[in-house]
Amino acid sequence: MGIKVLGVNHRTAPLDVRERFAHGAHEVPGALARVLRAGAAGGVLLSTCNRTEFYLVADDEQPAEAAWTLLAERLGEGRAARGYGYLARDRDAVRHLYRVSAGLDSMILGESQIQGQVRDAWEASRAQAGPVLHRLFQTALHVGARVRTETALGAGTASAASAAVAVAGKIFGDLAGRTALILGAGDVAEVAATCLVDQGVRVSLVANRTHERARAIAERLGAQALTLDEAWPHFATADVALCSTAAPHAVVTWERVAGIIAGRRGRPLCILDLAVPRDVEPAIAQLENVFLYDVDDLQTVAAQATARRREEIPAAERIVEEEADLFWAWYGGLGVVPVIKAFRGRLEEMRAAELERALRHLGHLTPDDRARVEQLSHTLLNKFLHQPTITLKEAAEQGRGYGLLEALRRLFGL
Amino acid sequence: VILTLHVLALALYGLATALTLAPFLGLRSAPRAWTIGVPCAGAAVHVVAVSQLTLVGLAPALSMLALCLVLLQLASERVLRGSAVALFTGPLAAGLVGLALLIGLAPGAEPSAGRNAWLILHVALSVLGLALLALAFIAAALYLLQFRELKARRFGQVFQLFPPLERLDRLNRFALVAGFPALTLGVLLALGYAARFAGGLHVGNAQIVWGLFTWVVLGWAVWVRLARHWAGRRAAVASIAGFSAVLLVYLALKLVEPGAERFL
Repeated sequence: MGIKVLGVNHRTAPLDVRERFAHGAHEVPGALARVLRAGAAGGVLLSTCNRTEFYLVADDEQPAEAAWTLLAERLGEGRAARGYGYLARDRDAVRHLYRVSAGLDSMILGESQIQGQVRDAWEASRAQAGPVLHRLFQTALHVGARVRTETALGAGTASAASAAVAVAGKIFGDLAGRTALILGAGDVAEVAATCLVDQGVRVSLVANRTHERARAIAERLGAQALTLDEAWPHFATADVALCSTAAPHAVVTWERVAGIIAGRRGRPLCILDLAVPRDVEPAIAQLENVFLYDVDDLQTVAAQATARRREEIPAAERIVEEEADLFWAWYGGLGVVPVIKAFRGRLEEMRAAELERALRHLGHLTPDDRARVEQLSHTLLNKFLHQPTITLKEAAEQGRGYGLLEALRRLFGL
Repeated sequence: VILTLHVLALALYGLATALTLAPFLGLRSAPRAWTIGVPCAGAAVHVVAVSQLTLVGLAPALSMLALCLVLLQLASERVLRGSAVALFTGPLAAGLVGLALLIGLAPGAEPSAGRNAWLILHVALSVLGLALLALAFIAAALYLLQFRELKARRFGQVFQLFPPLERLDRLNRFALVAGFPALTLGVLLALGYAARFAGGLHVGNAQIVWGLFTWVVLGWAVWVRLARHWAGRRAAVASIAGFSAVLLVYLALKLVEPGAERFL
């Protein structure tokens, strides 16, 4: 069984493609079930605003093909998903997940949010992950934690939320006394809103499709809770609009807010669209004194704050390599015992069969002689098997056992 | 001494400009002590140089204008908490001092004490008004550049190093509102000086045309700001249009009545 990862991320696919590939939590089991039906022994789907990745344990290419097909269907218009993505196998796949979990593969180097997302993906796929991916994701979280405690890769504030504050600050100067409205009641919106509140921004209202969830966040931020439809008139007064709903399409449309924004008499409005898919129609940015930024924009700003973190990359990469070696040793060792057992069993069958046939032609031997011949066959078999067994175990311990086991399986039809 | 001090001030303004430009050219930013200290030293030397000048003629006026710009730049850095204004004031001040040196700076005939007070006040207030109008232009230009970057979602050097829009708008408003009374007083002092010491309003047409035009333009810019509540981009465009018009009219009039011995 090989480990594979395939998917897209912020480096390989633009936002509009990533939006189409993004899977909500409720879509994960269905997507994985489809890939597992193609022959995978286990699967985990990691879907964030920056990446959609299938982690698979499979013998052949069918499950990977099924995953590409699934993504291509979301792309529509007969376009191939593979052109936007990547595929890594075995140790490279392990290393990839460890780098993701450590924040080394994030748009904002060292950001910590990804670790929670890796955990969520593992939890959401728990029933379909299988033992190898369970172990892989468990160790990936350990790698993320090690990198964050043993290096300064996560030091400073280079997140999208802190970038949102920086961008709003470039428009308004001091943010103290400014008012913000929040559309959506997810964790991302709350984190960004908390950053704004820390700068003295007053969150006046939280609007969400479900009023209950809006009320929970509004109470924490000292704001008023509304439904989305009640929120539009407030675009006339707020300084900052933070949008992060889970809607599958734009909710802040030209029709809903253009007229209201026109009544601001030129006062600037900063709209921070943290949602994927985007909540705000791009055309809104054409309105005078409206400054609209999406996730990509904010992450570009945040990425500029990562210069200092870059110095920590070598140390973090060393931890990733070290842990990938450990996992690969475990994974290689996982198969070595049953394969050696099967190998010895197969040769033992042959020894026993050949010994029986030989002894049939050697009826004149005394029982002691027969016992000696049998002992000889045992000794020869053990001598033949000794070195291959030692080599396999050593290779497994060094993380190189997987290839040898595959060769053994093929050569002896195990 | 006047020439030496002006050359020294020019060198310090040049150095200050280079220090301000460094981060925009991808070089390491100079410590704040340097970006403040060097223009401060330049202004100190310049004050000593200007104090020895008779403020009559084009060259002293240009030197005075350069000094006002640098002093306003240093004051505005407290408001903006950044040195972006120096991107404009640095080269502008250096250019004006250089031009004054080319035209020729020398101590002139000393007017009587009474005349001197009128003259110094008139020149100082008029030049301060002009410098504030120039500062409003600079703040407006910085505003429009930052506005364009923010609108276009470009997060390069301008985004990083230019001040926030709100602070630039505040600086523009302050410069216009402070510049208008200064210029108005400067014009009134000119009228008083002409009536008291020059035996009536014997001033050239060019001086009247440009003085009044500048006053009207600055007045209009203040009026749209305060009465019509223009702000942000529209106010910035108005400031730039006003300052450009004043500059163009000055150059046109200077072409009609050339000569280095008179400001106009």
